[in-house]
Amino acid sequence: MEDSQERELLEGTLAQEYKEGFVTDIEQEFVPKGLNEEIIRTISRLKAEPQWLLEFRLDAFRRWQKMTPPTWGHLRLPAIDFQDIIYYAAPKKDSDRPKEIDPALMETFDKLGIPLREREVLAGVKPRGNVAVDAVFDSVSVATTFRKTLSEKGIIFCSFSEAVREYPDLVRKYLASVVPVGDNFYAALNSAVFSDGSFCYIPKGVKCPMDLSSYFRINASGTGQFERTLIVADEGSQLSYMEGCTAPMRDEHQLHAAVVEIVVEAGADVRYSTVQNWYPGDAQGRGGILNLVTKRGICKGEGSHLSWTQVETGSATTWKYPSTILKGDNSSSEFYSVAVTNNRQMADTGTKMIHIGRGTRSRIVSKGISAGFSENSYRGLVKVLPGAEGARNYSQCDSLLIGSNCGAHTFPVIENSCPAATVEHEATTSKINADQLFYCTQRGIPEEDAVGLIVNGYAREVLSRLPMEFAVEARKLLSLSLEGSIG
Amino acid sequence: MRKIFVIGRDPVPAEFVLGPSESLEISLVVLPGVSCEENVRISLDGEGASASVRGLFLCKGDEKVTLNVDLVHARQGCSSDQLFKGIAGGSARACFNGRILVVKDAQKTRAFQACHSLLLSDKARVEARPQLEIYADDVECSHGATSGSLNPDEQFYMRSRGIPEQEARRLQMISFLSAVMEGLGEEMQGEILSAI
Repeated sequence: MEDSQERELLEGTLAQEYKEGFVTDIEQEFVPKGLNEEIIRTISRLKAEPQWLLEFRLDAFRRWQKMTPPTWGHLRLPAIDFQDIIYYAAPKKDSDRPKEIDPALMETFDKLGIPLREREVLAGVKPRGNVAVDAVFDSVSVATTFRKTLSEKGIIFCSFSEAVREYPDLVRKYLASVVPVGDNFYAALNSAVFSDGSFCYIPKGVKCPMDLSSYFRINASGTGQFERTLIVADEGSQLSYMEGCTAPMRDEHQLHAAVVEIVVEAGADVRYSTVQNWYPGDAQGRGGILNLVTKRGICKGEGSHLSWTQVETGSATTWKYPSTILKGDNSSSEFYSVAVTNNRQMADTGTKMIHIGRGTRSRIVSKGISAGFSENSYRGLVKVLPGAEGARNYSQCDSLLIGSNCGAHTFPVIENSCPAATVEHEATTSKINADQLFYCTQRGIPEEDAVGLIVNGYAREVLSRLPMEFAVEARKLLSLSLEGSIG
Repeated sequence: MRKIFVIGRDPVPAEFVLGPSESLEISLVVLPGVSCEENVRISLDGEGASASVRGLFLCKGDEKVTLNVDLVHARQGCSSDQLFKGIAGGSARACFNGRILVVKDAQKTRAFQACHSLLLSDKARVEARPQLEIYADDVECSHGATSGSLNPDEQFYMRSRGIPEQEARRLQMISFLSAVMEGLGEEMQGEILSAI
């Protein structure tokens, strides 16, 4: 490890806990608390949406009213009062400077290390590489960078609201085509009240010249964030997409119910990476984000490829299963995940791989790390339908336990209906190897650092899949999340 | 205790409770033509207890076989080992639900579980839900599950040496099941061989 990096780590250790936990003081407008058709109409009106989208929302709301929250997760979810949440919060726009971003917002994203000034990025002032960012603050997208550079190649990258206005045909064609409105309780809720998110379309044969990313920030108190992201990669295109998120430290739970849909056409290649760092709550389990997310992609065409990489360190509760439907023949998908839970955090996360097409391949590598009083579960489904001849799946789920008060669980489901398919699953659970720890401490590495080292080695297979800037951040996060778990 | 249970013939107790240092070795055999839903719970309730569970299922028609095995490590220093092998053909449905539960403070636990299945026809279906629920940290636990078909390369090898296709398939199935068949005694082995 380089000196500067090490110093940063140490400083982080001293500063303790969650450095993204500040609140931005900015004037915001809200809709009233609660959820009913009137609120949904208001949100739709505030966003100047077309009639079809309002009807889409109302239909989702009516379905949601008839649904009940899923209870199969290995989680103790606090009862959520859906009438006690503000469903829309947006920074007030200053009409004098319609083109400029509010300096307070600029400063917020600056502090979070998210480059919103294109010039600085290009001049190399900001450490992050060449990345286009869509920054979402509570319920609205405040800036999307590099739109011009991207549009020269025909790539559309903008906030979801803009996409609804400017590319209604594309949005209408693909919205809810992967995650249907009534898919599950939280997806239905999202479909009814979703605010902003990112929209991305890569045309045929285009290789996206830079990484695209969305950054989600919850700021206002008493609100929930319901973002919606839609990514479409047309035939033969290539894209690497990153997603990051943080929130202020508060004693209350805040709800984050997002939907991400990805459509991958024939021969296209999409890599989706997430570093999830929502506020995890304090050591006693007060506060923190409830992260209840539906993410799904479809490999529609022949030879398409979708890869999910996630590093989950934040959130009080995580309920998240990025999934892939392998419909096109010879399409393939991967899921690489590291989930860390400490203190009172709970995570129930994993993936679903549905093999429909011939010769489809999938690979699952999941690394769970639980410490403190946390619960960490892997839950996954591998389903092979009768026609999926030659389908192949390999899954590996490892769990690492640190301390005797946490739990690590594995709940895989394998359903095979095709004799010409091969499915393999392996899982192990153990604690940190005492010999390795002894080796490190004997050479003068403090125990806490040694744990960080061992955990990083354990998670390397996944971390090495992340884009470079993300990998550095993820390594730091891993070490920080496990702070104080020894002893 | 050592015992072989042929499902449908021998009633299987719903629960086995083991005291300190006791050991249990059971085998569950499901022969063709038997549909069942079997629930077996094994509690390792004394320090140093150990359990070994072997299972074998052969379904070739329209059987529906469900095996639910719940293995509870309630005290420290216990070990368990499970191995299930099964073949599903015809329009059979075979389902294996195996849970290993390690309670808090059941340290020094060693628990292993494996479930392997072969699918012989387009209409057959196999489901496996191997689950680990672990609340203690000083443990070594693992599970594995696979599902596949008869290896065509092996078949080609045998047929190129003059073994007829049917016989080659039979040999493959015997070799697949052999790890579980080994401990079953000659009489039972004969019965399984004639059923393949």
